[in-house]
Amino acid sequence: MKFDRRLLFNFDWSFLLIVLVICAIGLLNMYSAGFNVLSAKAGSFYIRQSLWFLIGLVFMGLGFSLDYRDVIRYAYVVYGVSIVLLVAVFFAGEVTRGTQRWLALGGFTFQPSELMKLTIVLVMTRYFTVHEREGKYGFKDLAAPFLLVLVPFMLILKQPDLGTALILLILFVSIILFIGVQWKTIFITAAAGTLLMPFSWFFLKDYQKERLLTFIDPQGDPLGSGYHILQSIIAVGSGGFFGKGFLKGTQSQLRFLPEHQTDFIFSVFAEEWGFIGSLVLMILFLALVVWGLRIAKQSRDLVGTLLAYGITMLIFWEVLINIGMVVGFLPVVGIPLPFMSYGGSSMVVLMAGMGLLMSISMRRFILQP
Amino acid sequence: MTKKSKKWLRFRVITLLLFFLVIFVVLISRAFQLQIITGKTLKGLAQKQHTKTLPLIPERGLILDRNGEKLAASILMDSVFADPTKIADSRKISAELSAVLGEDRRVIQKKLSTSKHFCWISRQISPEQARSVQAANIEGVYLIKEPKRFYPNKELAGPIIGFVGRDAEGLEGVELKYDRYLKCQSDKMLWGRDAKGKRLYLKESLVSEKPDKGYNILLTIDSRIQYLVESQMKEAINRTGAKGGMAIAMDPRTGEILALVSEPGFNPNSFFKGRPGMMKNKAIADCFDPGSIFKPFVAAAALEEGVAKEEDKFYCENGAYHIANRTIHEAQRKKYGHLTFREVIKYSSNIGSVKISQRLGKEKFYEYIKNFGFGSKTGIDLPGEISGLLRPHQRWTNVDAATVAFGQGISVTAIQLITAMSSIANRGVLMKPYIVRGVTDQNGQMIQEYRPTAVRRVVSVATAERMISILTDVVGAEDGTGKRARIVNLAVAGKTGTSQKFDFGSKRYSSERVRTSFLGFLPADNARVAILVTLDEPKRDKWGGVAAAPVFKNIGEQILRCYDSRPGDGYIIEEKEILPQAPVLRLVTADTPLPPAVQPAIAAAGDAAMPDFRGMTLKNVLKIAGEKRIDIRILGSGWAVTQDPIPGASIGEGAVCTVHFSRGN
Repeated sequence: MKFDRRLLFNFDWSFLLIVLVICAIGLLNMYSAGFNVLSAKAGSFYIRQSLWFLIGLVFMGLGFSLDYRDVIRYAYVVYGVSIVLLVAVFFAGEVTRGTQRWLALGGFTFQPSELMKLTIVLVMTRYFTVHEREGKYGFKDLAAPFLLVLVPFMLILKQPDLGTALILLILFVSIILFIGVQWKTIFITAAAGTLLMPFSWFFLKDYQKERLLTFIDPQGDPLGSGYHILQSIIAVGSGGFFGKGFLKGTQSQLRFLPEHQTDFIFSVFAEEWGFIGSLVLMILFLALVVWGLRIAKQSRDLVGTLLAYGITMLIFWEVLINIGMVVGFLPVVGIPLPFMSYGGSSMVVLMAGMGLLMSISMRRFILQP
Repeated sequence: MTKKSKKWLRFRVITLLLFFLVIFVVLISRAFQLQIITGKTLKGLAQKQHTKTLPLIPERGLILDRNGEKLAASILMDSVFADPTKIADSRKISAELSAVLGEDRRVIQKKLSTSKHFCWISRQISPEQARSVQAANIEGVYLIKEPKRFYPNKELAGPIIGFVGRDAEGLEGVELKYDRYLKCQSDKMLWGRDAKGKRLYLKESLVSEKPDKGYNILLTIDSRIQYLVESQMKEAINRTGAKGGMAIAMDPRTGEILALVSEPGFNPNSFFKGRPGMMKNKAIADCFDPGSIFKPFVAAAALEEGVAKEEDKFYCENGAYHIANRTIHEAQRKKYGHLTFREVIKYSSNIGSVKISQRLGKEKFYEYIKNFGFGSKTGIDLPGEISGLLRPHQRWTNVDAATVAFGQGISVTAIQLITAMSSIANRGVLMKPYIVRGVTDQNGQMIQEYRPTAVRRVVSVATAERMISILTDVVGAEDGTGKRARIVNLAVAGKTGTSQKFDFGSKRYSSERVRTSFLGFLPADNARVAILVTLDEPKRDKWGGVAAAPVFKNIGEQILRCYDSRPGDGYIIEEKEILPQAPVLRLVTADTPLPPAVQPAIAAAGDAAMPDFRGMTLKNVLKIAGEKRIDIRILGSGWAVTQDPIPGASIGEGAVCTVHFSRGN
C-alpha cells in the first residue's frame, strides 16, 4: 500500500482529541475510584487501566493505518475467531461471581464478548455491503444476518451476560433499521415480540428477574436487591452542583457502591464532579457520537457509512444504557461506560473501533467508489 | 451511491441526530434532578451513611465567683468503652473487667454480647481503675477521656450553682439557667464507616462549630462571703435546733447577689444521693409568711403616701384589737398604749402596723406591696423562682388586710424580701436581683455582660431616708427589738421578725412552729450590703431579735472584712465625710474585665452632684435636669433605668447626662 500524503492531511484531529479527552477523564476518575481514603493511597486500578489505554492506542493506530475496506474483507475471519473465543470461554473461562466471561491469557484476562460487539458491526457491514440491494429488506433477506447474530447472542446469554447479549441484538436492529427494512417486516416482528415478551420472563435467571423487579420498585428492598441502584442514586445526587471534589467522594470510595470502578464508574465521577462534571462528560460523549455520525455521512462508500454508523451506535448504546442504569432509568445490566469503566477488553476493542472511524474519516476524499 | 440513496442517508442521519439530542437532554435532565433538585437530601443521606457520630460529654465552661474563684470546673476522667464485635471471649473478658471495675460481670457480658460496634462499659472511672484497664490491654476494650463536672468547694453555693447530669447537661441552678453558654456541642467522635458498618477511621472532633469548651460564667457571688454566711447559718441552725434556714446577702445598689444560702444544702458532686426536695433552692422556690420583717414596707408606704408622719400617735389597744370576729394581739402578748409611728416599728407592734395600714386603705396598701415586688417574680436569673402568694385586694377581708400589715396571710420568697429591703437601702429604687455578672469565652473575653437593672422607683429618696433612720433606730436604740444586731462603730438598719407557721393540720397558725428572721442592711446610711437571715422552726430562741439578729450581726461583721479597707484596721470602717452617697468601699475583686457596676465618683466640695434619675418618668427627669441645668440625652421610653454619669458624680457647668428609659417588664 502506497502512502498517500492526503491521508495525513485529512487526519481527523478533532475526533482524536475528543477520544483522548474522554480517556484522560476516565483515567483520572479511575485514580480516584481506586483511591483508598484509609491509607491515602491510590489503588492499582488506574495503573493497569493506563496500560490498557496505551495498548488501546496501539490498536487505534492500527485501526486508522489500515484501509477499513481491507479490514471488512476479513470480517468473517474475525467473526470466526470471536466465536471460537466465546466457545473457549465455556471450557476454559474463569468463573467470577457465577458468570463465566473471561479468558486468561498469560497474566491478563480477556473478555471475548467485548470483542464480539465490534465483530458484529464488522460482519454486518460485510454482509450488507456484499448483499447490497436497491429496495428495503424483508424477512428472507434478514434471516442469514440474524443467524450470524443469534449464535454469539446465545453464547453470551449462556455465560450469562444479558447486557452484552442485548447489545448485540440492539446493534443488529440499529443496523438493519438504518439500511432499511420493509414496514411489513417491522410490524410483524414488533407484534410477535410484544406477544412473546411475557414468555421471555421464564427464560430469565432469578437474578435477572430480580433486577427487573428492582428497576420497577427500587425501594422495595433497599438493603437487598435495591441497594445497588439506591446507592448509585445517592452517590450521584450527593455530588450536587459542583461535586465533592477530586478524591473526595465518599459513597463510592467507602464501598457503599459495589462495582464502582466498572459499571458504576459514572457515579464516582458524578459524585466528585457534580452536575457540572456530568454535563461536560455527556457533552463530550454527544460530540463523539455526532462526529461519528458525520463520518458515516461523509463516507464515499457504503462500507464506510455502515461501519462508521455501527461503531457510533455501539458507543451510543453503551453510554445510554450505562448512564441510564446509573441514574436509575434502566435496569441494572452489565454494560461498561466507554473509555471510563475499568476493563482492558472494552478499552482495547473500542480504541480499535475509534481507529477504524478515523480510517474512514481520513479516506473520505481519496477513495474511488 | 445514487442520488436517491444519498437523500435517504441524509434523512436517516438527521433523524439519528435528533434522537441523540433527545437522549442527551433526557439524561442531563435526570442528572439535574438528582444532583441539583434532590442533591441536598441525597447528600444528607450519604453523610448519614458513611459517618457515625458518638457524642462525647462536652467540656463545660467554668463557673467562677466574682473574684475568679472556681466554683464549678471540669476534670478529665477515663471512661471505658468496647467494640463488642472485636471481643473474642466475652465471658472471660467480662470477668476480667468486672474484677477491675467492680461491676456485675453479667451486666458487662450482656453489653459485650451485642453485635453493635460501640457500648459503654463504665463511665468516669478512677485513675487506678483506668490504669488497670490499660494494663489489661484487652482487644476491643478502650479508654477515652471524658470531662466530669467537679465542684471544688463541695456544698459551697450548691443551690446556686446547681448540678449537671450524667451527660453534662445542666439540671439545676446556674448550670441549668446558663446551660446554653456552659455547654458546647463540639466534642463528637466521628467514625467513618464503610458499607458493612465497619469502622474505617476515627475522625477526632471534626465538628467544631463552637469553641472547644463552653463559655465561662462569672457570678456576682463572692465565695468568701458565701462561705462565711454558710458557716454562720450552719452554726446558728445547730445552736437553735432549727430545721433549716436561708440567708441572702445582696448589694442593694446593684441587685447583685453576694451570697445565697439555703440550708440544708447539698453537695453537687453527689447530688444524686440527696432527696429530691433538697436540691431545690428554697430562697427562690419556697414562700412563707414573712412576719414582722414585712412592717417596714407598710411604714414606707404610709410615709410615701403622706397618710402618717413619724410623730403621729397610734393607739395600740392595750394588746387586743378586735377586727370582725378576730382579735389581734401583740407578739409575746405585750400590751402597748399609745405609740408613735417610729415606735410602732421599733417595738414591732402588730396593732400599730394594722392601724398604719388602715390609713393607707386596701387599694393603696396593695399597690405598694406590689411595687415592692411582692406577688410577682423578681426575675432573678435562677431557674424555679416562684411569685409567692398575694391575693388581690378585692378579695381581702378586713382581717386579711390587717394581718398582712404584720406579715401574715401573705406568702413571699426570701429573694423578694431582700430585694424589697434593698430598695429602701438604696433610697427608693427596686433593683432586679441577679447572680451572673457576665459570660466570658476561653480567653477571658467578655461576650455577654449583665448590668444592674432598675425595675422601678418604689418610694422617694426622702421616704427611704426616713425609713432608714427608723430602721437604724430599731437596731441602734437601747430599747429596739433588733439591738442584738448591733455592730461596733457602725450604723446598722434592720427589722426583726417572727412568723407563726400555718399548720395545715389544724388550719391555724401555730405558736410552736415559727420562722425567725432578721432583714437589714449596713452601713445604714450608705448601704453596701443587705442581708436576710431566716431560721426555720428554731427550737430555742424563737424570737427574731434573739435568734436571727446575732447571726445577721456576725455575718455583717465578717462581710466588712471582705471590703477594701486598710490593712490592720479590722472591721471598723472609717467613714470619710467628704464622700457623697456613691460607694467608697469596694469589694476586693480580682482583675476582671467587668468595671464595677457603679463606679465610685468623688465630688469635690462645692461641686454639684448628679441627681438620681432612676425610677423617674421622662417628665420628672426633664424637670429636675432643667433645675440643675443638665442636658439630658434620652434613650428609650418609660422609666429611667440607668444613667451616665451615675448619681452623685460631680458635675460642672453644662453637664450632659445620658439616661436610659425602659418600660421595665
